[in-house]
Amino acid sequence: MKVRKIDHVGIVVKDLDAALATYSRHFGFAVDGSRGGELPALGIKNAFVPVADSDLEFIQPTSDQGPVAKFAQERGEGQFLLSIAVDDVNAAVEHLRGLGVRVGDPSNGVAFVSMKSSHGVNLQLIQR
Amino acid sequence: MSIGATHIDHIVVASNNSAATAKLFSENLGIEIKRVMSRPGTGAHMEFAKLQEIVLEFAGPGQPKEGEEPKARLGGFVLAVGDIDAAVATLRKRGVDVGDAHPAVQPGAKIAGIRAGTHGVPLALIQYNAMPAGNDPAGS
Repeated sequence: MKVRKIDHVGIVVKDLDAALATYSRHFGFAVDGSRGGELPALGIKNAFVPVADSDLEFIQPTSDQGPVAKFAQERGEGQFLLSIAVDDVNAAVEHLRGLGVRVGDPSNGVAFVSMKSSHGVNLQLIQR
Repeated sequence: MSIGATHIDHIVVASNNSAATAKLFSENLGIEIKRVMSRPGTGAHMEFAKLQEIVLEFAGPGQPKEGEEPKARLGGFVLAVGDIDAAVATLRKRGVDVGDAHPAVQPGAKIAGIRAGTHGVPLALIQYNAMPAGNDPAGS
C-alpha cells in the first residue's frame, strides 16, 4: 500500500456559503469552482478550497440522514474526516483487509476505513 | 487580502493514547513515525509522521489511563504563514479572536491559536524561522 499524501480535510458546517465566506474573509482562501456542489444521494453539498497541495472540503448536510448529518446533529460543526491519497485504492483496501482492518468496498475511487479500526477517526482513502 | 498561508503545516489527531494511535496508523497505513516527544511541563506525549509537506501529529496525555480503550478524533490543523505577527495583526483587524504569537515546540518557530471564527475547527498559525532556534522552549 502506497500512501501519497494528505488529500484533504473534511469540515462539516451548518451553512456552506457562510463558512466559505468566513474562510475567504479571514484567511483569503478561494473556492475551486470546478469541483463540489449538490450530492443528493449523499445528502450533502460541498465545496473545495485548495491550500497548496491539499484541500479543505467544506460539507453541509442537506438531509437529516447519513454520517454527515449525524456528525452535525451530535457535534455541530468541525473536522469530520481525513482523506489520504493512495496510488491504488483497490490494492489499499485489499492490503488493509489482510491486516484485519475493517474497510468498505471502494466506490468511485474512494473507500472508508471503519472508525472501529481507526480509534474513531473518520479515514477516507482516495485514488486521484 | 491573504494572511500569507503557504500550506497546511500539520494536522492533529488527538487521542487518549497517542502512542497507540500513532502505532495503529503507522502499521495500517505504512507511514513512518519520524519523531516522538513529550512536551515539557504538560505531560503530553506526541508522535509525528510526515506525508509530503503535511505533518500528522498524534497528541495525547503522557500517561494513558490503564485499561481505557484508545479513542481518537481529529483535533484541528495548523497553517504555515510567512510572517506570523503580520498575520495575527491582519486577523485582528478583521475581528478574529486570535492569541499572541508565542514560541512553539518546534525549534525557532512561533505559533498563534485562533480562538473563534473557524466553524468548529481548532486552528492555529505557525511560522518557522521566526526567531533564533536557541529560544526553543522544548530544548529539542
